[in-house]
Amino acid sequence: MCHQTVSLAARHLEANGISTVIMGCAKDIVELCGVPRFLFSDFPLGNSAGRPFDVESQRQTLELALQLLERAPGARTTMQSPLRWSEDASWKRDYLDLASLSPEKLAERRKEFDEVKSIARAKREAS
Amino acid sequence: MTTTAPGAKMQFAADHDAPIPYMQRTRDYYQLLGFAPYRWAHFVDVPWAPLRTPLDRARVTLITTAAPFQPGAGDQGPGAAYNAAAKFYQVYSMPTETVPDLRISHVGYDRLHTSAADPNAYLPLAQLKQAAAAGRIGSLGPRLHGAPTNRSHRVTLETDLPEILRRCREDEADAAVLVPS
Repeated sequence: MCHQTVSLAARHLEANGISTVIMGCAKDIVELCGVPRFLFSDFPLGNSAGRPFDVESQRQTLELALQLLERAPGARTTMQSPLRWSEDASWKRDYLDLASLSPEKLAERRKEFDEVKSIARAKREAS
Repeated sequence: MTTTAPGAKMQFAADHDAPIPYMQRTRDYYQLLGFAPYRWAHFVDVPWAPLRTPLDRARVTLITTAAPFQPGAGDQGPGAAYNAAAKFYQVYSMPTETVPDLRISHVGYDRLHTSAADPNAYLPLAQLKQAAAAGRIGSLGPRLHGAPTNRSHRVTLETDLPEILRRCREDEADAAVLVPS
């Protein structure tokens, strides 16, 4: 949901005169929502600002985002970072890979999901 | 114009080497778990505000979905399991002068292929400070702002976003860099 939240935030700021750029890893969510400028890194979720412990990759990622702020010609401009997470792209198969879930694992996930929802609800109500 | 002779070997990328279709996978996953499909926000029109100040004179603010570390709320460290107790439900702001302790155990990042051990991979604060020091941007806003990732569109649109806008205006921001976790 993080990508959707910042997409909605970018739209709201932009509609009120503040220029925005999103740095993110979930291309479909951001593009479906519709945002002004988006620097897409084809990395696992959690690495929107560059590769961990790789300062040069983090510098390049921000620099590309800043260039979008300056030069994007219009809304819905997406640029994909040329950086690769790894030569082997097999990591992309794993996220919510349903084929790997046995019926037991599925039941476990359902239970976990319900628990997480109930913790979140309690916390939301307390805040 | 170049053409490829029939039968020539095309050097296409592997079929799976494309951006992950997160919405489809989430939809399929929810369905398999027996939950109702999630409706993603989707608009036809997109607002547009060109940068009104050259970037080297602009004040840039940072917006994140990372959560402030909460002692007593369970494991929020690198590789921690999804931790709903570490979520937050109100917009927060923290000074950018120091380095705030922000974690992402409260969201569904890719725990199989990354561990959130380096906050700089999800929070470009150090890089923004360097950009300001180098004169690439005019200045970094005095505060960064945290956006709650509520599941309710209504709360996000009616409560959180007006509050973030108010804080950005207070900080006299010309531009914002928004970084989901």
